[in-house]
Amino acid sequence: MNPSKETVVVVPCSGIGKPFGTVSREAAYDLCEELRPESTRLVALAKLVLGEAGARDLVARHPAVTIDGCKQMCAAKMVRQSGGTVAREVAVLDVYRRHKDLKPEGIAELNEAGRKLARVLAEEVAESLDGVGQPVEGVVHA
Amino acid sequence: MPELLERKVGIVSCSGEELAEGTVARLAALKVLNDLRPRDTVTICLPLFLAGGAGDRAFARLHPTITVDGCELRCAAHGTEKYSSKPAASLVVNELVAECGLERPEGRRRLNAAGQKAVEVTAERLAVLVDRALGKDAGTPAAGDAAVHKPDAEQREVACSCGSGVPVTKVSIDGQTVELVALPLIFRQFREAGHGHDEEAARELFETVKIYNAVPPEAEGSYREAVLREYAVFCEKEKQA
Repeated sequence: MNPSKETVVVVPCSGIGKPFGTVSREAAYDLCEELRPESTRLVALAKLVLGEAGARDLVARHPAVTIDGCKQMCAAKMVRQSGGTVAREVAVLDVYRRHKDLKPEGIAELNEAGRKLARVLAEEVAESLDGVGQPVEGVVHA
Repeated sequence: MPELLERKVGIVSCSGEELAEGTVARLAALKVLNDLRPRDTVTICLPLFLAGGAGDRAFARLHPTITVDGCELRCAAHGTEKYSSKPAASLVVNELVAECGLERPEGRRRLNAAGQKAVEVTAERLAVLVDRALGKDAGTPAAGDAAVHKPDAEQREVACSCGSGVPVTKVSIDGQTVELVALPLIFRQFREAGHGHDEEAARELFETVKIYNAVPPEAEGSYREAVLREYAVFCEKEKQA
């Protein structure tokens, strides 16, 4: 677990057009609802687009894990534009390249492989978060 | 406004991961894009207005756009208007739920029955707005019967506009590199319409370019000069082709 109990904000991309966007969202739910509920806080990316004060404050005060579904890396870019620090920048495609047997399909509802890919991703991030309480030197890519 | 692309309605949904109503918004948008009006709609991820390029930000200028939000923050509606263009219409799920007397949706990850019902109602309302934006009569079978629009297997893919192919041209203006969207589309349409090269034609061409691109008032002269220069190059290439 995160030894300092510092809250980490988790920002998935809001991808609506591709299964990888859905994987990013599912992984964020896995992480925030099941794997690290005490030390994580989900933030909707749309709020950062809007510049909503509460969301900006959260990303300014806590390190962020961003999970992006495509090369545009909207979540990572928006956290930085909002004044936040990206402690873990995750690209679903990178995780998929290491788990080619888990090909995600379906946008509204992921197939079984997609759900497994999301879980694998979430577990990897959860393990890496155990070090987030330590000072973060630069951006760490998962 | 000239039609530069095939006329489709843009649907922009809030991502709303924090609320069940956000999930309703997203699933309703997908239902319209996939099942109810696949040939008439296209979408883009909201954050691309900031994280993407000029082509992405031109989305709502190129498509009449309907936004669907989960809550009263209206992130999709405000974000679209702020960074692209004013939406043609907006829906807010929790307002629609109240209006229709539905139970409040629950389960941001897996919607309960009330949430599923809200998806149906929101998608149906969105489809009506799509038809209205396209000037179709929502009461006719061609526009209102989902079976008519039922896509075959190959078409069951959301028409996502990220990296959408809206051409972006880099132009040097006053020593700065500026991105202008849709120039080849505008130029081609303008040339095919048989416009000449006189002062009136130049004014009309620049006014069209300004519909799709933000031009700082203090730099209008330089932008106009650059656009006309690019148009001359375009016409020369067309002649040689």
